[in-house]
Amino acid sequence: MTAPSLGSEAATRVADQLLRRQVPAPWDVYGELLERYEIHFNGTTREMVRTPVRLEGVGMRVLRPVEGKTGIGFAATSDLSETSIDALVADAEATARFSRFPAARAELPSRGGSSSEVASYDPGAWERPEESLEAYLSVLFDAFDGRVGVGPSFGSVHLIRSEATLVNSSGLHHRESRTEFDREVAVKAEGGPEGRPPGEYWVTDRSVRLDPSHLRQEAAEWCQKAQDVRRATAPSAGPQAVVLPPRVLSDILPAILGFRLSGVADLRGIAPKPGDELASPTVSLWDDGLYPFALGTSGLDDEGSPQVKRELISHGRSAANLYDLLHASAAGRASTGSGLRHSIVFPRFSRFDSAPGPEPTTLVVGTGDLGTDAELAEVAQEGIWVDQLGYAFPDPLSAAFGGEVRLGYRIRGGKIGEPVRGGTVGGVVVGGVGESSLMNTVIGVGRHPVLAPHLSAPTMVVNGLGVGGAESP
Amino acid sequence: MASLRDAEDTLASLLKRIGPHTPYAEVMAERTGGHGLRVDKSQTSLGPDPRLEGAAFRAWGGEFWMESATSGLDRAELERAADALVRRLAKHPPGRAPPGISAVTKGDRSTVAKRPFAEFRVDDRIALARHLYEIARSPGGIDNAIVTIEGSFEERLFLSTAGARLFQRVDRTRGTVVPVAMENGKVDWDYVGFGGTGGCEVLDDLTEDRILHAAKEAKELLTAAAAPTGSMPVLLDPSTSGTFAHESFGHGTEADQILRGRSYLKPLLGEMVGPESLTLVDDGSIDGAWGSIFFDDEGHPSQRTVLVDHGRFIEVLHDRESAAVLGRQATGNTRRADFLSRPFVRMTNTFIEPGSWTLDELVQEADHGLLLENCTSGIEDPLGGQMQIKVKKARRIEHGKLGAIAPSMALSGKVLDFLKAIRGVGKPTDFAIHPGYCGKGHTDLLPAGTGGSYLLSEALVGPA
Repeated sequence: MTAPSLGSEAATRVADQLLRRQVPAPWDVYGELLERYEIHFNGTTREMVRTPVRLEGVGMRVLRPVEGKTGIGFAATSDLSETSIDALVADAEATARFSRFPAARAELPSRGGSSSEVASYDPGAWERPEESLEAYLSVLFDAFDGRVGVGPSFGSVHLIRSEATLVNSSGLHHRESRTEFDREVAVKAEGGPEGRPPGEYWVTDRSVRLDPSHLRQEAAEWCQKAQDVRRATAPSAGPQAVVLPPRVLSDILPAILGFRLSGVADLRGIAPKPGDELASPTVSLWDDGLYPFALGTSGLDDEGSPQVKRELISHGRSAANLYDLLHASAAGRASTGSGLRHSIVFPRFSRFDSAPGPEPTTLVVGTGDLGTDAELAEVAQEGIWVDQLGYAFPDPLSAAFGGEVRLGYRIRGGKIGEPVRGGTVGGVVVGGVGESSLMNTVIGVGRHPVLAPHLSAPTMVVNGLGVGGAESP
Repeated sequence: MASLRDAEDTLASLLKRIGPHTPYAEVMAERTGGHGLRVDKSQTSLGPDPRLEGAAFRAWGGEFWMESATSGLDRAELERAADALVRRLAKHPPGRAPPGISAVTKGDRSTVAKRPFAEFRVDDRIALARHLYEIARSPGGIDNAIVTIEGSFEERLFLSTAGARLFQRVDRTRGTVVPVAMENGKVDWDYVGFGGTGGCEVLDDLTEDRILHAAKEAKELLTAAAAPTGSMPVLLDPSTSGTFAHESFGHGTEADQILRGRSYLKPLLGEMVGPESLTLVDDGSIDGAWGSIFFDDEGHPSQRTVLVDHGRFIEVLHDRESAAVLGRQATGNTRRADFLSRPFVRMTNTFIEPGSWTLDELVQEADHGLLLENCTSGIEDPLGGQMQIKVKKARRIEHGKLGAIAPSMALSGKVLDFLKAIRGVGKPTDFAIHPGYCGKGHTDLLPAGTGGSYLLSEALVGPA
């Protein structure tokens, strides 16, 4: 099957221009054409329709030897006129003269191809973006039909089609097609005789596929959770067992582990060495660049190196870190296919306007043997099941995280109990020598993985995370 | 394209093409760029910001707004976007008139920088960054320091079928130094940073004293014991009180959220929400402040809007639609993050007006609790009215005196309880507006200033 195309020729055109002008190797050009379709709603009424939002641009990188190091020049533009491309080349060369990166000259890959062999886009959504989005919204609204006192208050659905082309001075020419579906839905519960203030459950999500088949079940869960917000009380304070489901973990682990297990951290002396003890023996972790229908899935990374599935933590011990071409060169090793232009911490619409750097694709946490929610709660015994944090505030440098509990459930005597809200849950994901951390206090791992943005993980039970800001039990 | 003005005739002609299909249409064209520089122990990296340009067309579709947007300002790209909008408009009946009053403002304004960033030579920028890096590393025990210096500009041209014509150029400069300490695999850091509209004069605040203080604190954070948690007196530094003003209160005053029934503040308009000493303002017209703009993206001039006046909640922030529904005037707060993003009601510079207390007096008044310093982020909860703010460090207050430092913490609890418990506001000499980026929901980041002086109240604090 051939990957679909939006007909973008920008990268090829710029590369031809560079070859004609005999711009010295090595260089690469990353061109991208994106179309985004959006529907914003207020209740079940359309507030704004944006079709399409179209962005096309190129990012160009040159690597130059400077004082025994590598000068990296990077520039990007959405102005594709001939004079603008001249300015792009001049900007890239100028910045390369001043920048210094401690790597020997890196070789750019020469292999190429197209993305048809990896599952990186939704064919139906690609072919009929507007109709698919309208149909999804229709199912979403229908899913709330007949409910009294609870329903969507605000939200939006976005569908992005993108085509990226990477061309470099080693002869690589690679094309990639992607879809991304983003949704934001606020579900509000109000009214009733009890006089409580309204409650809201806020859902944000990003995925490759636009799949409305689970919406009815999801809407029922969101409505229940919006109702639970209304009757939630503060959690008890102090260190206790905390159950972290995949959606919560996806706000914490990719941002922190994606940095701490990277060539960037290695270069600065803060990445683990192979064999270092990082986590409980029950924890293994991979980065899987080929995970079907996951954000970041591709045959090649954004520098042209093959993406693979790679073990990063093996039974609690550090196994490998993630490198792009330059950080790999600085460390005297090969790229792990992790030279990416997306950002885990600050997701962006486009990639062409960022230089590649080591980033994870989809972190995969190995599954455990706990099947049901009841089994997970049984392991926790006393603590909190965190359903949602306001924001986990992941700090990649210190590895600290922590946020307010927007909704959780008390666990008493191994049973899931009443809803809680307020107070904060926090700690460090990986700590210093002898320091307690999220990763080294895992006491239970679920059996069923869920795919969330940049993470596939089961629910995890952690013993002794700090819970604060609430009244003592 | 050398200037947005070069595209003006094309944009105006395309508005005329859209005009017959709608009672109102507008276009916001944008051009952005800049330069960034980062120095740390491993590398010096610099690069021009992406040179992005494009336009967003918006038209009233009878029942809701319709938009199309494109990068590029050449005629073919702009025609494609305008024609896509015309096709969509043609599918819908005329419906009702657009909400609110269409701005007819005309204007042409640009930031006046004392020392424009564009005139700051690259080698001089690198020399300054390395100098700041050396200062941060000088105390010993600092393993690394990350220095960033950035200068950016955005030009916006707004035209509408109602006759508005506005051009603005806003230049922003920002500098940050992050000393990083490491020991036995544990890493911690502190920061000092400044930013504003203007040029390199903004960087003058990155003084040696401030950087050395941040380096000292980064080292102390490595071994700092966790602070007590729970409900207690909290003294917010200016960066934290500003984030409180923005995230915890300000988002609830964005009137689009009120129209959606998503603001916990809606029933409180006109009521006392805090003590007499509390005045809370959004002001996009402050010269030199990070979040300042000249005009918003519906064509209204930026302005000072007092939201809470001596404790009474008196006003909210409007776009044309909310102003019409609530019988008020637009406040110059309709902002797009860029030409790719939709407009929303957004804040500009949001702050708590200073009071009369010195820091020493506030510490004595608190008696015990925590001084929360160097805010790193916050998030809104416009319907629930909960606050969540993270600070990089805290300092214990014991027996009316400042004590030991503590690592990062999160502030939580109910905003209204926090407001009612305010016991003192710091004096004007401690007032500052800090640079930040604000999202609406989970996207659409744009520059927003947050400010205040010291602020003493009571809240829940916990680990973060």
